[in-house]
Amino acid sequence: MIRIEKDAWDRMVAHARSAYPDECCGAMLGAIDNSHKTVKVAVELENAYQGERGNRYELRPEDLLRADREARRQGLDLIGIFHSHPDADAYFSATDLKNSCPWYSFVVLSVKGGEFDHAACYLPNADQTAADSEELVYPN
Amino acid sequence: MAKVLIPTPLRQYSDKLDSVELSGATVGEVLGELTGRYDELRRHLYSDEGKLRSFVNVYVNDEDIRYLQREATPLTDKDTVSIVPSIAGGAHGD
Repeated sequence: MIRIEKDAWDRMVAHARSAYPDECCGAMLGAIDNSHKTVKVAVELENAYQGERGNRYELRPEDLLRADREARRQGLDLIGIFHSHPDADAYFSATDLKNSCPWYSFVVLSVKGGEFDHAACYLPNADQTAADSEELVYPN
Repeated sequence: MAKVLIPTPLRQYSDKLDSVELSGATVGEVLGELTGRYDELRRHLYSDEGKLRSFVNVYVNDEDIRYLQREATPLTDKDTVSIVPSIAGGAHGD
């Protein structure tokens, strides 16, 4: 189960709305207590995909490295990645799966007509062939 | 001894340590030392063919080893090795 605190969630939704109609992406920092994850800080990262960003995103590893350092500096852990699906549901697409990493929780935010619609979270496997759903709790 | 920073989700395989000091003259030697000490880490970092998994990037300080000498990149005691995944995606592809 992954729970996102209000400040972090507000940043994620604001980032998704401001990036619309492009996809946004970012890192989620927080803590893990057994299987319970809590996201305390959301970090907006640039969508570095070279091409049509309305249905694709790419994180620069250097940006992720900086996010990890920031997490360590704050005594937090990098525990997940978020991105948006403009005018599409919050499914984990074939593209998401193929370019994922099994180490992190992946939150997908559906943004329709520029407004947040719904979200879901996934845990991809090591071979990038399947992703389980992870229970996601976020503020209304 | 170079310092290797362990990504959060992999710490369950490194006795919960967030970093490990390891001896080795190159990145390859240090990663070999790491996966020798923590066997479970090997399958997360390396494919069955023994190559670093496609989504695994290794940095020495701020430099991607692909732009240095890859796993032959030399290390000093002051170097920090980071393991950073490649991540992308998007709604395209259903």
